Amino acid sequence: MRRSVAAKLVRERLDPKDVVLCGLGSTARAWREEKAPQATYYASDPMGMAPALALGLALARPDRRIVLLEGDGDLAMNLGALITIAGAAPANLRLAVFINDRYETGGGQALPNAGRISYVTLAAGAGWPWTGEAHDEKQAARLFSALLDLPGLGLLAVHVDAEPSPYPPDAGPTSQAEDRAVFQRRLSDAD
Amino acid sequence: MSGDGEANAERIVGGLLRAGVEIAASLPDSWLSPLIERISNEPRIKHIRVTREDDGVGICAGAALGGKRAVLVCQNAGLLLSANALAGYAHHHQLPFLVLAVYRGSYEDRFYYQMYKGQVTEPVLEALRIPFHIVDRIEDVAIVEEAVREATLARKPVVVLLRRAALLGDAKAS
Repeated sequence: MRRSVAAKLVRERLDPKDVVLCGLGSTARAWREEKAPQATYYASDPMGMAPALALGLALARPDRRIVLLEGDGDLAMNLGALITIAGAAPANLRLAVFINDRYETGGGQALPNAGRISYVTLAAGAGWPWTGEAHDEKQAARLFSALLDLPGLGLLAVHVDAEPSPYPPDAGPTSQAEDRAVFQRRLSDAD
Repeated sequence: MSGDGEANAERIVGGLLRAGVEIAASLPDSWLSPLIERISNEPRIKHIRVTREDDGVGICAGAALGGKRAVLVCQNAGLLLSANALAGYAHHHQLPFLVLAVYRGSYEDRFYYQMYKGQVTEPVLEALRIPFHIVDRIEDVAIVEEAVREATLARKPVVVLLRRAALLGDAKAS
């Protein structure tokens, strides 16, 4: 399954009031290309921090469902976050991790032990109450819906193809701090 | 020097509450035990236990992103570990929060293995351009509340380094 297909499946299932927090790298590329209407914050660097950032946002905004779209490279950088999140157990947080077994934006290098890591086993072992794993579009369609229908915390591991994800030609017109301010304004305007 | 662990924790948490802090992330140190216990028993503060201090940095940054004031409570080793996260949220995202870090490895400490932390903490924070203040005695606890305001105005994390005396007073602790 191409990552753009996985991102489209997410977009088609989100509620307009959902808030997306998107980890860096090829997952962020795929989500940007969807041009989804939901308020989205791109976690950018520091790498490895998106799960903790999403947890903080979920705690601060219990009135909104927070959907973390994550890459496996980012998640692998700080697996302890799976324990921290399971301990906090925010009912409004959902995590979908796109697995391509590579540091795509960094040049396509393999993750350590690529292809033999089970994120659902890691999450279940950390105490996540629900996990799912999708290897193709049909499974992903069903399990994205299941993830979003949950009453509480859940993690969905979605296997996607390895595809080139070269750096864009420039950094874009706005800084992270400017994007952060726009996101916060959008979040408060929607209240 | 005055107070004891419980009384000092009460005053520190009072400062957090007056500053509007609603979310706390923590990773323990023996000198922090009374403070963390007091925070965990405070119904107005949502307390999250973390596995690494930079998780706490991310949680506090995420809370700020969502419009809440948050504090990370940890040892100064956690500041060293979290250098990249602190710098990223200070200068790249520009998100404010407070860090209360126990200042191990200084004149009050009795352990060889703590000393390196005391020797490098302040230079590292200076290099990261993270504002920090040192609370030597509980009588200076007002700095906690003021540091939250400073962080909010400066749009960056602010660190308050707490000496043993400020946390525990005259009480004995390892």
